[in-house]
Amino acid sequence: MMWKERYSIGVELIDNQHKELFKRLSHFIQIVQSETNWEDKMDDVKETLDFMKDYVIYHFNDEERYQEEINYPDLEVHREAHAKFREGINDYVRIFDQGEFNEEKIKEFAAKLMAWLIMHVGKMDQKIGEYVKEKGVRHNES
Amino acid sequence: MKAECINAFYSATQDVFNLMLDLRVERGDIKVVEGLVSSRNANVVLGVTGDLKGSILFSFTQDMTLEMVRIMSGLEMKTIDSFVSSALGEVANIIGGNAVTNLTNHNYICDIVPPQVIIGEYQSLSMANKKALLIPLRTHIGEFDINIFLSESQ
Repeated sequence: MMWKERYSIGVELIDNQHKELFKRLSHFIQIVQSETNWEDKMDDVKETLDFMKDYVIYHFNDEERYQEEINYPDLEVHREAHAKFREGINDYVRIFDQGEFNEEKIKEFAAKLMAWLIMHVGKMDQKIGEYVKEKGVRHNES
Repeated sequence: MKAECINAFYSATQDVFNLMLDLRVERGDIKVVEGLVSSRNANVVLGVTGDLKGSILFSFTQDMTLEMVRIMSGLEMKTIDSFVSSALGEVANIIGGNAVTNLTNHNYICDIVPPQVIIGEYQSLSMANKKALLIPLRTHIGEFDINIFLSESQ
């Protein structure tokens, strides 16, 4: 179980998306690390990889929109961190598109994604939660 | 080497281990060593450029490495494959990034060169017989070392 309760920031929309991200990433790592033949799991890997990269972007957009709504003071710093995160993902998408779609590179990518996500949610996103608590921000969650 | 350089890496290691691994890190006595040499299985070398230049070597045992990645992923790891070594390299990279941020508070502007993960015992990463500082560190899942070899750019 990758998700830890201390990652919660107290905003339901964001917390639910984070939980989904961790759940999908955990599934992705399980597939990547399973002892099944690479050829046999390739379709599964591709499908999960596509979902992950789309969902990260979707989540970042929602999170930035939420920060705008609550006038979060560090929005620009957070945007920059998201941009760097996206760039990291896109670097790997390019590597895969250019033909290096192999087990070693996918494992490398899964590990980096795991470290980036833990660090981002465990540190940077916590500051949103602290701001929300401190200011007693009310928000509309859809 | 100034104390702030050592503290920058030590406190970054404490923060990142606490945040990513839920582990408390304690420091042993600092030693002076010749070059960057490790007798442990999993080593990560980070290059530092800018106002300070040199290398940082993180050395872990295989068991500790596998346990660190198990904590992060929630999955048992059997061997150091490219998933495990990449995760280890990234943890060291994040520590390096945080240490560089800490150093800016002491007016050192530095950058980190992407990590190089070296798996295998008794790697000798010679620094032309120059002296490095070894910080022995302890957690409840094992011990590891950080070797710091940094000098101020002329």
